[in-house]
Amino acid sequence: MPERTRKTGALSALFKQREVGLALILVVLFLLVGLRNPAFTTGSNALFILEDTAIMMILALGMLCVLLVGSIDISIAAIMALSTMTAGIIMKQNLNISEVQVMTDGVMGSVTLRESTPLILLILAGMGVGALCGALNGLLIAYGRVLPIVATLGMQYIIYGLSHTISRGQAVYRKDMPDSFINFSRATFLGLNSKIWFMLAVFVVIFIFLTYFRQGRYLYAVGSNRESAAMSGIKSPRTTLLAHIIMGTLAGLAGLLYASRDTKITQDMAMGYEMYVIASCVIGGVSVSGGRGKAVGVLLGALTMGVINNALTMLRLTGNSEFWKKAIQGALILSAVVINVLIQRSKERRVLKDRRI
Amino acid sequence: MERAISRLPRWMKRWEWILVILILVVYAIFSGLQPENYTFPKLLNQTRVYMVDVGFMALGILVVLILGDIDISIGATAALSATVMAVTYNQGDGIPFIAAIALMLLTGAVCGLINGLLITRFPELFPMIITLSTQTLYRGIAYIILKDQSAGRFPGWFSKDLGYGSFSLFGLDVPIMLVCILAVLPVYYIWLHKSASGRRIFAAGTNLTASRYSGVQTGRIKMAAFILNGIMAALGGFFLTSRTGSVKYTLATGYEMQAIAIAVLGGASTSGGRGSVAGLLLALILMTGLKNGLMLVYNDAFILNLSIGLLLILIVLVPDIAGRIRRQNTVRRQRLTLKKT
Repeated sequence: MPERTRKTGALSALFKQREVGLALILVVLFLLVGLRNPAFTTGSNALFILEDTAIMMILALGMLCVLLVGSIDISIAAIMALSTMTAGIIMKQNLNISEVQVMTDGVMGSVTLRESTPLILLILAGMGVGALCGALNGLLIAYGRVLPIVATLGMQYIIYGLSHTISRGQAVYRKDMPDSFINFSRATFLGLNSKIWFMLAVFVVIFIFLTYFRQGRYLYAVGSNRESAAMSGIKSPRTTLLAHIIMGTLAGLAGLLYASRDTKITQDMAMGYEMYVIASCVIGGVSVSGGRGKAVGVLLGALTMGVINNALTMLRLTGNSEFWKKAIQGALILSAVVINVLIQRSKERRVLKDRRI
Repeated sequence: MERAISRLPRWMKRWEWILVILILVVYAIFSGLQPENYTFPKLLNQTRVYMVDVGFMALGILVVLILGDIDISIGATAALSATVMAVTYNQGDGIPFIAAIALMLLTGAVCGLINGLLITRFPELFPMIITLSTQTLYRGIAYIILKDQSAGRFPGWFSKDLGYGSFSLFGLDVPIMLVCILAVLPVYYIWLHKSASGRRIFAAGTNLTASRYSGVQTGRIKMAAFILNGIMAALGGFFLTSRTGSVKYTLATGYEMQAIAIAVLGGASTSGGRGSVAGLLLALILMTGLKNGLMLVYNDAFILNLSIGLLLILIVLVPDIAGRIRRQNTVRRQRLTLKKT
């Protein structure tokens, strides 16, 4: 049928992608703010926004897996706190501060060396605890058949309680941290911050996993139609469990980066973060009922959140923008989500029109 | 044994009995551990902290949960409504307090209306996302109005008599606040469980499409439920303010999760179609007993959270597993009878 394939150029195929619409919103938002404050559109600020949202992006990529199977996890901030607190206690107990004499420019000077457990072990401990929490969530949801919101709400209480119990109410501060951990989120490689590199690595892994791996495609299958996935021999509980383990592991990694950035670990670290992560997934076109969503879209969604956040600081709408920031943030999230839905609706209508129905 | 259970009358097999047993167990444990501090009169006095404000919010969210939706903006709604009430009374000259209260209820209703409008107009979006955004919005508006200040000049009857007043009944000091929620509960029960409009809510929550085809105006029901939810959240904020004596924009932070937890403990399901007012009351009593006891023994808010989380998961998990075992047994018995024939 020639009518149906009127526009078959690469460009129109590109515009049929949901993510492109979001990218356009993002560019317009970026330029609009740039009109008010030219400093916003500089390359260094763009890089700053990317660095600032990298942690959110890592979490959103994990949340994508969970949302794809039709589940949800609102305990991720708690998982971040518990896994980071575990690593924090390990590093605090093994901390060893020493003064070393070094020769710099012909002058003897002393440098304080703060050593502790190797960073890689700390990362493994944090991600391991995260994976355990995720596995527990997944077991409850997949095998215990508790509704995801209720299960992770309960787990949120439990995990925060555990993180308080193991820390005995003590926070971990900069003085308890080894140099390697403080530099964990500050090191740069090829001019890019380590947070961006971690985010890119997670993105590539999740992207390849979701697009080319059988287990990754199972996530979509289970989320779109659980019954037909089960009929085709996919073990849907196992897939749900896997998604939650991925989420927990990434929450552990994100928590460590978060703590290293703030050089502080508290029991209620990142409280309320989960909602922003879910919101950036939804802005990125992930369906909360499962089965729909792409890694690229999630990155763009998180970036939109980052741009909104940064723009509100840069614009200084009133004398003290902090008071307005909170209210406007909510309104902007809402309008971004609604615009996305409206674009989707008009596209569906156009598809119907093209098919002459 | 199983046959004996199945012969019992229906009202005896209800979920609420598990809550009753749990309440008795909790009471027995803590009165054993702390015989002089954990007594009925002292618990009755503590109900004003654990039962009233969160109870009103839970009553509101119960209806939303029965419809299969969720609302996490109720804490923010409570904060915004209480802010509006405090600011109009404190800054308006000679505005009677009753007018400030009316304005507060109106604010709650408008907050609920906005949620309801967005949720019915954009069914593609999950209610959680919409109310997450409105949560930030409402609390942000409260922040704009109050900045970092707190507003706390109220008439004496509000902060003293309502907040800390009690009257004696059979030699017990009953908080006035407790009477307020206990008076609302029967009305709510009759409306939700016995009236046609209440049953329509259950119908819409069980199967939205089917009830729309059978002539139930589901959109209108949803709107009404969210408006009611907003008003109940505002009332929760009202009682919370009378207890704390002042309003800040952070008022009732995290109360939405507490209210949802209470409703779910009381037998509501986040997937809709289930929930009961009696269960909610029992869940409130259970929480009061548990929280008070844990605070006495451990004096640690986090141990408290830990136990509430465990309770929440177990109480949802256990009936499901029991049901699954029962189903497996039935299947096995059917197979046996098939083999015999």
